[in-house]
Amino acid sequence: MLTDACAHAHPGPALSRRRLLQGLGLVGVAAAAPTLSSRAAYAAGGSWDGPVLLVLSLRGGFDGLSAVAPVGDPDYVRARPTIAVPAASALPTGDRMFGLHPALAPLLPLWQAGTMAAVHAVGTPDGSRSHFTAMDELERAAPGTSIRTGWLDRVLGIAGTGSAFEAVQLGSGTPARLLAGPVPALAARSLAGFNLLGADRVGTRMADTLRALHTDSPLPCAAPALLALRALDETARVVAADPGPQGGATYPTGSPLGAALADAAVLLRADVGLQTLTVDVGAWDLHADLGARGTGPMAAQLADLAGSLAAFARDLGPLFDRVTVVTISEFGRRVAENGSGGADHGHGNAVLLLGGGLRGGRVHGQWPGLRPDALDQGDLAGTTDYRDVLAEYLVNRFGLSTTALADVFPGLTPAPPGAFT
Amino acid sequence: MGNTARDVPADQVDRPDRRTVLRTLVAGGALAAVGLPAAAASQGGTVSGRVAAARSRGLPARRGTAARQTGPAARPSGDAAAARQTGPAARATGDAAPARQTGPATRPSGDAAPAQTPVGGVSATQLRPPGALSSPASTTVEVRPGSSVPKPVLRRLGGPAPLPEDREFRLHLLRRTTYGVTAALLADVDDAGGTTSWLSRQLDPATLPDPVCDAVLPRFPLATATAPWCFAHLSRGSYLANQDLVRATLSRQVWSQRQLQEVMVEFWSNHLNITAPSGEVWATKGTDDREVVRAHALGRFDDMLVASLHSPAMLMYLSNATSSRVLPNENHGRELLELHTVGVGAGYGQAGVVDSARVLTGLTVWRPTDRGATPDVFGTFRYRADWHHTGPVRVLGWSHPNTDPAGGSAVAESYARYLATHPATAARLARKLAVRFVSDDPPASLVDALVSVYLEHETAIVPVLWALFTSSEFAAAAGRKQRRPAEDVVATMRALGVTPDPASTDSTAIRNVLAGLVGMGNAPLGWHPPDGYPDVAGAWSGAGTTLGRWNLHAALASGRLTSGLTWPALVPWLLGPQVPRTRGALVDALTDRLLPAGTLSPAHRTALVAFLGADGPVQPADTAGMFPLLVSMVLDSPGWCVR
Repeated sequence: MLTDACAHAHPGPALSRRRLLQGLGLVGVAAAAPTLSSRAAYAAGGSWDGPVLLVLSLRGGFDGLSAVAPVGDPDYVRARPTIAVPAASALPTGDRMFGLHPALAPLLPLWQAGTMAAVHAVGTPDGSRSHFTAMDELERAAPGTSIRTGWLDRVLGIAGTGSAFEAVQLGSGTPARLLAGPVPALAARSLAGFNLLGADRVGTRMADTLRALHTDSPLPCAAPALLALRALDETARVVAADPGPQGGATYPTGSPLGAALADAAVLLRADVGLQTLTVDVGAWDLHADLGARGTGPMAAQLADLAGSLAAFARDLGPLFDRVTVVTISEFGRRVAENGSGGADHGHGNAVLLLGGGLRGGRVHGQWPGLRPDALDQGDLAGTTDYRDVLAEYLVNRFGLSTTALADVFPGLTPAPPGAFT
Repeated sequence: MGNTARDVPADQVDRPDRRTVLRTLVAGGALAAVGLPAAAASQGGTVSGRVAAARSRGLPARRGTAARQTGPAARPSGDAAAARQTGPAARATGDAAPARQTGPATRPSGDAAPAQTPVGGVSATQLRPPGALSSPASTTVEVRPGSSVPKPVLRRLGGPAPLPEDREFRLHLLRRTTYGVTAALLADVDDAGGTTSWLSRQLDPATLPDPVCDAVLPRFPLATATAPWCFAHLSRGSYLANQDLVRATLSRQVWSQRQLQEVMVEFWSNHLNITAPSGEVWATKGTDDREVVRAHALGRFDDMLVASLHSPAMLMYLSNATSSRVLPNENHGRELLELHTVGVGAGYGQAGVVDSARVLTGLTVWRPTDRGATPDVFGTFRYRADWHHTGPVRVLGWSHPNTDPAGGSAVAESYARYLATHPATAARLARKLAVRFVSDDPPASLVDALVSVYLEHETAIVPVLWALFTSSEFAAAAGRKQRRPAEDVVATMRALGVTPDPASTDSTAIRNVLAGLVGMGNAPLGWHPPDGYPDVAGAWSGAGTTLGRWNLHAALASGRLTSGLTWPALVPWLLGPQVPRTRGALVDALTDRLLPAGTLSPAHRTALVAFLGADGPVQPADTAGMFPLLVSMVLDSPGWCVR
């Protein structure tokens, strides 16, 4: 009874009108239910050899001015007398204006090899300095509209394969806001924890029973449950078969990001149809004690980020070329340090990019400068819309048409920063 | 999900100072009243006894089984007493009764003297006066199998067309209007004299004693803390008060006798969503819960909306607290139109949004840094005439000269009442209620009918609910709604009979259940965007969510979450004293008890039997180690998802 003739007639990435409308939030979510079972019907193809997008959400407000420090801007040290990254210890980027935070040293080889780049002074149209509003707007990415879905859900609504693994979130069981919408996301704290409680006591009997109970049931929860069982099976299979990190990669011990990326590598190696992966990273809301002169809590978190990503790149080897890592944060931090050795909520930020297909080894974007009159309410002005960074990726690498792009980011007039080939 | 299933405190934000807080609290006594009638507490013992008695009856009465029930003999001596007690019949005999409090049946019934009429098959409890619950005198009324309230009698009472009394309808109604059917709940319906009078009582919840809830809510004292108290006793942005509120909300869903009230509280909490816990509303969400949502959940929507516009939590959440005539913030003005009332298609345009925001300027919140702020007003509503935009404002068909800087609050109230009674608002609310109670895509005929009732009754909610539950569309919609994950978990707790351990104040187990709900993205009050949790099946179908539900079933059925809770022995609780002799009969007994009729095919039944092994005599392990897993399998069945 629950079929979507359109989707059946054109399985795969081809865009059905219904999915498009859902993606746009133009049909009620109620109408989404029928598509689910049709998705389940052709979700069997769990393979994907196309590009894989990994979105790292740096929640709390990432300090791009520490990560990609504008050491060549005289106003930088002036505004941050105690917490600026000293030019002498910053890692060279090939651009005299910018140096990487010394804690990012594990990523320097990637930068030099052209598999890492940054875009600086990236802003959002929203401009909010509230975590909640800014994050919500960032992940909805449809300012001035009533669309309620997340941008990544809209991407998958257009280009998703329908695999149980098309949209995976690791590190947290709650799908992030950017995945909100009709495309079911598979969120798990870890692959090891993605299992059936109690199943260890009765072998496969539990899963067998569940499969039988959800087969030939007219109720709408039956089809997604079969998808979940399939994901469980596949997860157990790939975890059991995985040889472990390759190329001598060592993820930082005790690092949630490292663990999530190690899991991501397992899924990529196993070719289960992973298209997009989202991971929440860290607690970057450093209002106080950000760290003096390139040390302290900011340095520790960046070291974890760098160590995890470097291990991920090494672990994947040639597969890393298919992957693009994008860091995203709801806002940057204020240019001037505050009285507590930290920085308050700001605006413009640096976006880090890693993986294949990059114009790597350089800092993209237009630097507006840190002169007081160049600031946006005391904050780094945004000169590149974050949606333009994502849009360039989606068109150049993910193969989205410009028409489809307008459905992902309504109202955006693309101005590609030139970060992707 | 596996890591949520053990008794490890999962959310320890701010925990270290909790003890200090509690000590201060007891000493200070500065909490707002919980808002429960004193009568509820005083009747507690009696009602617990009644609940216990109901539970001791074990399995729900089956169709064709005569349910013997007792009820107090005391009958009201006059019409007035009857009217006070019978919900839909309320004010049946009055002439000037305002529509706002009554059911759709406001037709005066003249002199029918209903209370004196011996009503065949109807329990006298339906008509008992206040206090009669504790009356030791009782008579026994036989309820004939399949009997229902004779229609003419209720019509004369002025009530709505009576609801069907067959078992299938009763279970359907209970699945939709409560957080899960239990044996005690079925006994309550019998005690009430049937579905119609049970529903009447649910729609007049203040009259319902709530002993289990009364006993558990003191574990979450900060749920009712006022904003000034929070500012005085908690660190700024502390999640403690919000967390207590979320825990209290979950507890009420599981244990409150006022089930439909809790369902409607959840409905309105989503309609006027304010995320908790969240730093913005750390001190103010509890006030909104009490004074906006709970105060009006079964009242009038226009009153609720006016209260919401003056609610510090909403003003903070939608940024109106910082919106002024100089720097207006359109967020609240827009969401008021788009989400709270008429909806995007109503034709207000950007100019309407701008004026909507202008109307609301000046409605703000006292901050400690404000000049003139004293601790007793921190976090409370403040009207700032100097922030209010003056000059003509027009939104849709409403306009106001808005000349007085001091008059902004009254202008906002006029605007809110206009919006609440707008047909587009009526249509959105009617559809939303139909989506909650009928189906993901409810019939237009029903929505249209509810719109009329809503507008005729000046935004009163109870008449709309009566119209909904007595509609043929509702009766025909059994099996067509899916529970959200949190609802599934609450229903599981209810079905498994867990109660708060009266000797304990430990809330660890409740916190761990909540951690599981957070993991599925469905903790009470936890939705982030302002549009509230979606309520359609497609929104909750992710693999992680499905697995989360299954694992919580297993954790709950295994009785692992014990800190502060009491679990009955599962086998007698679910099967009664007599364990069936064969595995097939065991599965039948369990599925009969837990699943809606018709949701299991013979093949599904075979699969459940096969989970234990070959059909045949029940083996010792089947009612020991395997039993919680078998219960989990039944709860994992698609039928358990049915709301």
